[in-house]
Amino acid sequence: MNLTRAALAALPLAAVALTVPLVAPAPVFAAESVSVELMEMGNTGAKGNATLTPMANGDLKIAIKSTGMTPNSPHAQHLHGSAAGMDFHCPTMRDDKNGNGYISVEEGLPMYGDIFVSLTTSGDTTKASGLAVDRFPTADAQGNLSYERTIPAAQLPAGTIEHIKDLHIVQHGIDANKNGKYDLEALGESTFAKSLGVPNIPEEATDVATCGMVSGAAAGSVPAGGVNTGDGSSLQQSGPDPALIYSVGGAAVLGTLGVAFYRRRKAAQA
Amino acid sequence: MSRRVVVSAVSAALLVAGCSAPPPAPNTVAGPPSTAPAASQPGELTSGPLMESSPPVTVSIPKLGVTSTLVDLATEPDGTMQVPDDASTVGWFTGAPSPGALGPAVLAGHVDWKGTKGAFYHLSTLAPGDEVSVTRLDGSRAVFAVNKVGRYPKNQFPTDAVYGPVDHAALRLITCGGEFDSATGHYRDNIVAFADLKQAQPSPAPQPSWPSATTPH
Repeated sequence: MNLTRAALAALPLAAVALTVPLVAPAPVFAAESVSVELMEMGNTGAKGNATLTPMANGDLKIAIKSTGMTPNSPHAQHLHGSAAGMDFHCPTMRDDKNGNGYISVEEGLPMYGDIFVSLTTSGDTTKASGLAVDRFPTADAQGNLSYERTIPAAQLPAGTIEHIKDLHIVQHGIDANKNGKYDLEALGESTFAKSLGVPNIPEEATDVATCGMVSGAAAGSVPAGGVNTGDGSSLQQSGPDPALIYSVGGAAVLGTLGVAFYRRRKAAQA
Repeated sequence: MSRRVVVSAVSAALLVAGCSAPPPAPNTVAGPPSTAPAASQPGELTSGPLMESSPPVTVSIPKLGVTSTLVDLATEPDGTMQVPDDASTVGWFTGAPSPGALGPAVLAGHVDWKGTKGAFYHLSTLAPGDEVSVTRLDGSRAVFAVNKVGRYPKNQFPTDAVYGPVDHAALRLITCGGEFDSATGHYRDNIVAFADLKQAQPSPAPQPSWPSATTPH
């Protein structure tokens, strides 16, 4: 395991050259919280969900919870896709070209696109950190992975917030032979790592565990309680009052006291 | 994954419930299925037409004869939503998605204010199927259909149903109702109309800075 970590961490950065410009994003129109459903890819047994919340200052808050991950092991995870309108999406098992029941990086990348942001636990978040397993979250002994980080606006590629719904979350690292670790015996050597010049990395460590697509959105900030959209000042007016036709017996009482309420409302209104 | 699809049509009879009535629970579920497609299928986990984000400019509710420009609403220091400064103007809560985009957009208007009946004075009379149309800064128009109108005590405000995650483009219109509480100076209840995007009308003029909106067909 330590060998795996060290080897992965030592992958040459030149092979995953930094191509994403680092500029501040444009203003955000509306705060929102985007829900992402992390779907099992093949027979990994892993799944989860995530929320992506653009903050008022342009930062991006990311929260991920997934289960069924390789226990006690680091899981590389990224936002994949493009801010240039490319139509990327999560792979399906039709993309499992070698038919082994799992999606390798080579099989998945054409579908979900290049690394857009590396969801590391600290430090750099560019594509250059795509395989920095010493800075990716580790699943616990039960295979549960929990991740939360707010990435500063200045650290996000241009267009991240505007295209947040076009991006996908991909988590790597599976346990095909269910022995609780990444090992060469399961699926052999990672051809992707090898292509980057790093031999003897288990294929299990780089195969796709989950892929997440946008499944919904919520308000980014939730006001407390109800909304004070009325001051009662129409209650003294004659005619049917839709606000009052529901209250049994209340209309007469309120009508009588309406003038008094009207005088009090100004001080009481927020 | 929390996935809330509020598409129930509640009969108008519920609207005459007493002020202390509990919020009506969503009953029937119609419309798009809430189950996610199988993981092995590509494509959308969302339902219905969706539009890019663009700030709303005006709202029109033909049934009520209401057309209003929209002002931005944030939150007050106590965490409650701001409300418009005058009776006739409707506000858009900027802490939620823009109308037409994925998620719940929230508009609030007064039932009455400073001696005048407000823009949403008749909001409670909306019925399932009634249209609400929102024009947006990018020139496009989002047309929603009401699917439910409910009245909720403010201390039992349906926060999750109004602001929580949904898998489609949704709209919530909020005003006040029920008994007026002289002690607080506020109505005791909120009227909430829930609507779903039924049609995304692209801008009539080319808008190169915005991708064309997705249409339902």
